[in-house]
Amino acid sequence: MLCDDCRNKPASIFFKEVLPDKTVELHLCDECASKRGLLVTKKLSPQEILQKLLRQKSAQDEKIICPNCYMSLAEFKRVGRFGCNQCITTFDDHIKHLIKQIHQSDRHIGRKSSSGTKKGFEIYKLREDLKNALDSEAYEDAAKIRDKLKDYGIEDA
Amino acid sequence: MHDNIRWLIPSSDKTLPCGEESEIVVSSRIRVARNLENIPFELKMKQTDAEYLIGLVRSIIDGKVNGEFLNLRDLKPLERESLLECHLVSPGFITKEKPTSVFISEGGNLSVMINEEDHLRFQGIGCGLNFSGLSSEVFRLEGYVSDNVSFAYNDNYGYLTSCLTNIGTGMRASVFMHLPGLVFTNEVEKVLKGALQIGMTVRGIYGEGSEIRGSLFQISNQHTIGFKEEDLLERITKLAKMIIDIEKKARDVIMTKARSEFEDKIFRSVAILKAARTINSMEVLNLLSALRFGVGVGIVKDITLQTLNEIMVLSRPANIQLYFGEMLEEQERDIKRAEYIRKRLGAN
Ligand SMILES: [Zn+2]
Ligand SMILES: [Zn+2]
Repeated sequence: MLCDDCRNKPASIFFKEVLPDKTVELHLCDECASKRGLLVTKKLSPQEILQKLLRQKSAQDEKIICPNCYMSLAEFKRVGRFGCNQCITTFDDHIKHLIKQIHQSDRHIGRKSSSGTKKGFEIYKLREDLKNALDSEAYEDAAKIRDKLKDYGIEDA
Repeated sequence: MHDNIRWLIPSSDKTLPCGEESEIVVSSRIRVARNLENIPFELKMKQTDAEYLIGLVRSIIDGKVNGEFLNLRDLKPLERESLLECHLVSPGFITKEKPTSVFISEGGNLSVMINEEDHLRFQGIGCGLNFSGLSSEVFRLEGYVSDNVSFAYNDNYGYLTSCLTNIGTGMRASVFMHLPGLVFTNEVEKVLKGALQIGMTVRGIYGEGSEIRGSLFQISNQHTIGFKEEDLLERITKLAKMIIDIEKKARDVIMTKARSEFEDKIFRSVAILKAARTINSMEVLNLLSALRFGVGVGIVKDITLQTLNEIMVLSRPANIQLYFGEMLEEQERDIKRAEYIRKRLGAN
């Protein structure tokens, strides 16, 4: 395919942009793409590096399974996203190098998560308990849980 | 105008003041991804988890920051589209099947998407270059939530995210720049390649043709781990300032070498916007680019950047329909868009 701009050299870059009214698709040669100021570099984006790395599959991938959400390493490689926070510890040996290749570092030095009072999680537990109590028709328990939720300012439970 | 679309017109007194260099920097944005440790991530979460999370975050933020929660499923398609055009939500967010909700602060500068690819995506957006102002706002909001829940976090990798490309700080900062000078002097590639070398992603958004049409570029950090948040913001600020300097020099070149040619383009653009009876949003984008340049170099004196920013957002397809409070076919839309712009620029 020839370059859409110069109609002379072979197109080496496919460019697609979604604009407010339409989608523009262009096939350009390196030179014309750079004239337009569209990136001409072979440097891969983090997303592209990740996709490339995830294509490296192994037979054991099916057997490494997160105990919390049951995602397997194979599934992770297929979808490219974790199922829960414990997937990351479960797959650690297999993803450490991915992080390093994507970000050129695998060590967080930024903000630390504060461990203050975690009211939200307790509310979550109570709501789950309430649901279970109602399911098993334990209405007295349910009333007690509702009172506790009210202490947290939750009136609609 | 429909009452449900207050986000379209942020009350100006409550909006963050514009940051520096707002004639070149259209906007700055910070986005921070967070997940709760006790709920499965978005991919595996149940409907009840999603509903619970919305209620929880609402109970935490309500009363702390003025604003409103919008459940996406309660909105009309046009309203969802409008949130996207206002950069308050992401494209993937408005098509999700799960219950999703977005919090929008009163001034429109802060938002939180709930049940996006990560449980929470905090966002701050403002005009001009203003990362320090934005980051304190965004992290203040994030702090209210983190005081009440445990985020998914580990000491090695920091904040854990659905996708590895966001792990660590979970933070993506981006700056949206208007660079007609660099396009004119053919320096865009050189400058943007430099940006890539220091770990930034660059995306070009161009108008048809070249020169001062379009000329919009977005720069953001590629890496989210291995840096402190402040350092990432400082790096992108420094880079933006360096590009601003080169852009200003290039504008000087234009003003000495091609002044009348550019003046002609600018005044023709003003004239078209003030006179057109029908206009599509792509043409508006191109004409606004010329106008923004004209305002920046002092050729256009009676139009403010704020007006241009407003037209840029409001003239988009869904927004213009909501502005007039009716569904419009493409042709009618172009007519109404022209009408709105003429009114906004004080023409008849
Ligand atoms: Zn070509
Ligand atoms: Zn898991």
